[in-house]
Amino acid sequence: MAGKSGRAISAAPKDGLRSRILSWEGALVLIFLAVQIFGVSISPNYNFTNVLREMPKYLAEIFMLFGMACILILGDIDISVGSIVCLSATMACFAGNAGAPFPVVVLVCLGIGLLCGMVNGFLAIKLQELPTMIITLGTQIIFRGIAEVTLKSGGSVSMEDVAGLMQMGKKLGPFPLSLFFVVLTAVIFSVLLNRTVFGRELYAVGANKTAAYYAGIEVQKDRFICYSLLGGLAGVCGIFLLASLYGANTTTGSGFEMEVIAMCVFGGIATTGGKGNLTGAFIAAFVIVCIRIALGQRNINTQLILVIIGAMLIISVLLPTISNGLRAKKQKR
Amino acid sequence: MTEDIILKLEGITKIFPGVRALDRVHFELRRGEVHALMGENGAGKSTFIKVITGVHAAEEGKMYLDGREVHFRGPGDARDAGIAAVYQHPTSYPELSVTENIFIGHQLSRGGIIQWDEMNKRAEELLAGLHAGFRVTEEMGALSVAQQQMVEIAKALSMNARIIILDEPTAALSRTESEELYHIVDQLRESGISVIFISHRMEDMYRLANRVTVFRDSRYIGTYEVDKIPESDLIKAMVGREITDMYPKPEVKPGKELLRLEKLSRTGYFEDVSLHVRAGEIVGLTGLVGAGRTEVMEAACGITRADSGRVYLEGRELTIRRPADAMKAGLILLPEDRQKQGLILSWGLGRNVTLPIRRELAKGGVFNDEKKEREIAKKHLEEVDTKAVSIFDPVSFLSGGNQQKVVVAKALAQKNMKVIVMDEPTKGVDVGAKAEIYMIMGELAGRGYGILMISSEMPETLGMCDRIYVMCKGRVTGCLSRGEVTQEEILSLAMEKSAGWKEERG
Repeated sequence: MAGKSGRAISAAPKDGLRSRILSWEGALVLIFLAVQIFGVSISPNYNFTNVLREMPKYLAEIFMLFGMACILILGDIDISVGSIVCLSATMACFAGNAGAPFPVVVLVCLGIGLLCGMVNGFLAIKLQELPTMIITLGTQIIFRGIAEVTLKSGGSVSMEDVAGLMQMGKKLGPFPLSLFFVVLTAVIFSVLLNRTVFGRELYAVGANKTAAYYAGIEVQKDRFICYSLLGGLAGVCGIFLLASLYGANTTTGSGFEMEVIAMCVFGGIATTGGKGNLTGAFIAAFVIVCIRIALGQRNINTQLILVIIGAMLIISVLLPTISNGLRAKKQKR
Repeated sequence: MTEDIILKLEGITKIFPGVRALDRVHFELRRGEVHALMGENGAGKSTFIKVITGVHAAEEGKMYLDGREVHFRGPGDARDAGIAAVYQHPTSYPELSVTENIFIGHQLSRGGIIQWDEMNKRAEELLAGLHAGFRVTEEMGALSVAQQQMVEIAKALSMNARIIILDEPTAALSRTESEELYHIVDQLRESGISVIFISHRMEDMYRLANRVTVFRDSRYIGTYEVDKIPESDLIKAMVGREITDMYPKPEVKPGKELLRLEKLSRTGYFEDVSLHVRAGEIVGLTGLVGAGRTEVMEAACGITRADSGRVYLEGRELTIRRPADAMKAGLILLPEDRQKQGLILSWGLGRNVTLPIRRELAKGGVFNDEKKEREIAKKHLEEVDTKAVSIFDPVSFLSGGNQQKVVVAKALAQKNMKVIVMDEPTKGVDVGAKAEIYMIMGELAGRGYGILMISSEMPETLGMCDRIYVMCKGRVTGCLSRGEVTQEEILSLAMEKSAGWKEERG
């Protein structure tokens, strides 16, 4: 049968540059630039130094972006991460206050995060008939509940000085230290998703779970790993949050899960799985952070910021539908 | 038969951006006639049906209903004119009851109040007329595909349809269910309703149709009396070339034994199934739909797990917990549902082919080697003669036959592969591509692969297989050798009444 018809199939990769510029990531870069112009025009204090100075308080949650991207690409969702941040930060505080040295505090925070992630992963693969939204809604309540019980009536705990934690709030030149860690994590996850077998598997599972299983992918193992990774990253978020807040309370991390999901979706990652990439989500995260800083400098209240971000999210999700509709209309004519 | 023409279309042309989907096509339907519409995938049958049902407006051509010219502006017009279509996968509301599905869109109401009793009564009458064995209060989703089709037909009747179009009605049905559908169509014909049906199964056409119209490459080829045209002429009309040998079964001397299942059981699905496949052999596994054929091979290939029994490959016992284990050993299942189980439709051809061997190709087992992947994908896709421009084309763009070739390429890309299990390899594949797939199967056997084909289609089972295992109700009821088998023998083994088991070794 070989070459019966002599028909050749091209294996030359398509030129990516044009399509990359015309993609959603290209559009996000433009949006990012537009937000900078917007920031400068509404606030006299909006400049490079000030933006970097205010950035750390928004950076911590971006760590979870990478894990959430993996989960969404799989076609799953995890809405418990805000509670994991709360629980891990709370436990780390207690550890620090009990006299544990800095590395132990970090390990406690990471460990609790990882453990919570593993619990999510375990439940997700054992209760496959349940939507993960419901499973993680349950663990969201449980994890925060445990934190609240630990915090007792006061509802908050202050971190006494732990040598090392102070260092994490430091800067390298004009850049906050946490920014380096965020970029480093972004590079690692970008390689993981785009260049490794594991990344390929995640896209395969998200695009067609059954076909991926038939092709020999251990779907449930991959899901477990992703939930654990995200839990661990929630722990990382907890550490950096402690470094800027010096404490935790019952509302620590609350709403983070939705913000992180919003960043991913705004960045072009479909909640239905199998589509989107980390670059888009990463740029989208900084678009949102910059909008927050700009509006915050004008003392525009946070509720209004939420309205704006929500509207942007819906528009970004609608865009492909609108452009497809226009294209179809054009073809009809 | 008197020329009592109910529907006539003349010179219909339909243009989609860049494609002429129908090119001056003719069609004529008599009153009370069953008319088959045949042709390969992409011949324009579905587009034509959509023109008749008012979904698409034709650019050129005229349509006459009862001798009067009509213009349908939408599906509603066609429905009002008494034309209804029933699709392969019924487009119903699974959560609603049968009655609700029948009367959806034209509920019987008085003063805005839905008349449930009246509707249920009407629905019962309609279903009784079709000899349906289920109740009108049942949920649509709980019914089988065949029963859902009955509901769709009842729905058409409830709207006083005079012309009913059936689009691949038997594709998802078992043999007995098809038989029931044939009866219903006979009844429709007797009551004076005209039926147009599309099918890839010759069997359907011979059993049902008075006349057959063939389309090829968007053009009208001809209309024939079914009992006057030989099958080979009909195939030639559809494919445009002569297929001298539909089943090019090579004479391969069977080699050593590759796969052996011993007393494989899974409670509720199959029991004590033993079979073997030798190198160079094409072995058939047949039986009625639901006999447990797919389930046996799913368990052998690690998709599910058997409760007991053993699987041997080249005499070595395998421990298979997941598909990856089976593939590593050299055993792969090419599943029946290519679109859901076999392929990732949104991905390119190339990535689909190399998905199972991603790890073996990767640098250090971790980083994807895209260049090597492209080379291997290209090589194997060309090997099976896939019709595609680039390995980056999404699989969803391909026809059923070409999708099947991609699935085969996926198996060939795995160097250690020994036994290829093909579940209904020609389902939804047109006649030209079927012949190509049989040829590929023959070549693979010639190269020393062991092929096990699960199939419900009698002609391909008889035409391609060296030995045929027949299953009934989860048990193997017989193993028959090539040349000594008749369709009747297989059928009697596949039916419940056969008690004994028969073995003839070749």
